[in-house]
Amino acid sequence: MSEARHFRRSFDALPEIFGFTEAFFARQGVDREILTAVDFVVEELFTNMVKYGAAADPGSEVRIEIEAVGGGVEVVLADSGVEPFDVTKVPDADTGAPIEERRPGGLGLHLIRRLVDSWDYEYVVERRESRIRFKKTPAGKAAQDGP
Amino acid sequence: MLAIEQGEQGVVVVKGRLDAAQCPAAQSFLDKAQGTVSLDCSGLEYISSAGLGVLLKTQKRLLAAGGKLRLTGVNRHLQDIFQYSGFDQILEIEPAR
Repeated sequence: MSEARHFRRSFDALPEIFGFTEAFFARQGVDREILTAVDFVVEELFTNMVKYGAAADPGSEVRIEIEAVGGGVEVVLADSGVEPFDVTKVPDADTGAPIEERRPGGLGLHLIRRLVDSWDYEYVVERRESRIRFKKTPAGKAAQDGP
Repeated sequence: MLAIEQGEQGVVVVKGRLDAAQCPAAQSFLDKAQGTVSLDCSGLEYISSAGLGVLLKTQKRLLAAGGKLRLTGVNRHLQDIFQYSGFDQILEIEPAR
């Protein structure tokens, strides 16, 4: 069972998005233990689309689809009218750098990689659409491997 | 939503969700903090990378002036995020009991 909604390209849409994920978890009986991590990944991907989608088609929105799978969820964020950019290929941040060398930004994708069971990127040329899919389950990678 | 306010004995109390939409308010509040600042996170449910940016900027500014940021009551989710991001090496963190 999956549900999908469109959200305007704005940080102000975050409360609506979190409401959407929370309601889906409640309706589908998904373990709330993973809700915070799912919200984290959705926020990081969505805000990237807001920040770097400035050249996207005017009025275009981001579509978020959630499906209950294997005790957890599979989520797809689809951003149309944009140029391709495979976020899964972005290198890790240097998390061992001294504080003087640390800069805000760049941590979101690094953290996603450690929180999800799996993720992948697809670009649909006909719609100029970036599609990022991730899976998160209670028994997933982060839970099994630890930090 | 996020609530951030001055608590007792100089402690700053933060509650709710520190996401990208709430960061400007949190940054504005913390920009006024001076010295060694204890941030009570026992009511902080969630932080994203945008929230980490707020803490990083604040910690850099305080350290440069001889102070620092100290986080208390940090929940499991926040501990994971701090650990994965290496922020446990640049912030003083006391986990929730």
